[in-house]
Amino acid sequence: MRPALAVFRKDFQLAWRDRTGWLSAFAFAAISILVYSFAFDLAATDVRPLLPGVLWTTFLFVGIFANGQSFQREADAGTFDAMMIAPVSPSTIFFGKVITNLVALVLIELALLVLATMLFDTVLLTAELILVVAIGTTGYVSLTTLLSTLGSRARARAVLLPVLALPLLVPLLIAGVRATGVALDEPVGSAPWMLLLSMFALWATVGGALLFPLAVER
Amino acid sequence: MSAVATQTPENCPAALTSVLRGILALFLWATLPLYNARWTLLPALTGVAMMAMLVGAVIAAPREVIEGDVQRLMYIHVPSASAGTYFAFLIAAASSAAFLISRDIRWDAVARSAATVGVLFTVITLATGAIWGKPIWGVYWTWDARLTSTLVLLLIYTAYLLARSVAGPNDEQAARYSAIFALIGFLDIPLIHFSVDWWRTLHPQRIIFDPRPAVPGEMLLVLLIAFIAITLLMLWLVALRSDTEQLVQRTDRMRARLDQREPA
Repeated sequence: MRPALAVFRKDFQLAWRDRTGWLSAFAFAAISILVYSFAFDLAATDVRPLLPGVLWTTFLFVGIFANGQSFQREADAGTFDAMMIAPVSPSTIFFGKVITNLVALVLIELALLVLATMLFDTVLLTAELILVVAIGTTGYVSLTTLLSTLGSRARARAVLLPVLALPLLVPLLIAGVRATGVALDEPVGSAPWMLLLSMFALWATVGGALLFPLAVER
Repeated sequence: MSAVATQTPENCPAALTSVLRGILALFLWATLPLYNARWTLLPALTGVAMMAMLVGAVIAAPREVIEGDVQRLMYIHVPSASAGTYFAFLIAAASSAAFLISRDIRWDAVARSAATVGVLFTVITLATGAIWGKPIWGVYWTWDARLTSTLVLLLIYTAYLLARSVAGPNDEQAARYSAIFALIGFLDIPLIHFSVDWWRTLHPQRIIFDPRPAVPGEMLLVLLIAFIAITLLMLWLVALRSDTEQLVQRTDRMRARLDQREPA
């Protein structure tokens, strides 16, 4: 676990020094919320039935937007091969990258929840909702981090990553939206959405850790 | 396809490798005899079975009392959905696993072919379903659980084919990446199924596995023949396509070697 934390510390420090990445991701998320408000006239109508969908589509888009860059800096600086020949298992490096992306996205999502609380006059910063968001984020971050190893094919990656990731994320989107609806006391049926969300997170993390070594092998 | 699993990639975890090896052995045991007969026995069998299926579906099977002749689409729709779509995607996932273990680029050709044929049968399934759905349900499309998961499956494997096609036929890295994607996509099927199942449901239940069959014997017989026919057709198409893809790979390698020899 120590090497994973080292990767996390390095990436987090780099991201902290150059905060434009986080800021542009948050700006993108905030603008998405505004776009939804204009498109569906969220200010005038009762917003609560629509809110889970608005939040989760924004989370997924900002996640794919941000995680697609996971290995970009490494590839640009040529440090990727250096990291790969380090005497640790590649799965550890995968966990380091996942923790970095997870922390960054949870921070962005919390900020987004604060913004949405103010915009829509609905209390969104409850413990239950934060748990739903954290588990769901773990799921999609693991998957998109694995898929972002599309590597040197940067030209194709920008277009392909959403096309590849979104169909796989359908279960997470459905479960996340429904679980958020439950947290907001919306009538969405009684299926075990939290269980499905956790299963997806577990599946994506284990699958990512097992397959990542094959994806980055030279 | 004989020299399989000779070297193990160093980074691959042992547990994963043994699981993948098991899948591969099962897959080879099931399909290798048919693959070896792909130019002799398989086309003939496929032709006979397809003819039998058409005659059975159009002429021999009784006319359904309530739904009428449009019900005859079932003989193509049901086998296309199971044998055509799921079996083909299983082959794609298994050959992707085989590629990840053996690093033999020919497995990548097999995986790509199986995915292409699977996508074809998914489209056939959705199209026949829509044609049947309009008179019976009153709509071409509905967000029912099984329809939705079939559509998501179509999106996943179309994305796979897209991702694979941006790189050349012998690009080892792209082949590895797409093989991983095909595996994840296949393992995602249960999750997709559960999520959309809890989300919506309207599809007619599977009456065939009911202990008291409501379907008359002739219909079941025709359906069985159709299953065999579609399975054989799918396997034959995969065999043809993967032979073609392997020829493309060989041509590509030859061209690369030629370019090396005489730099123009």
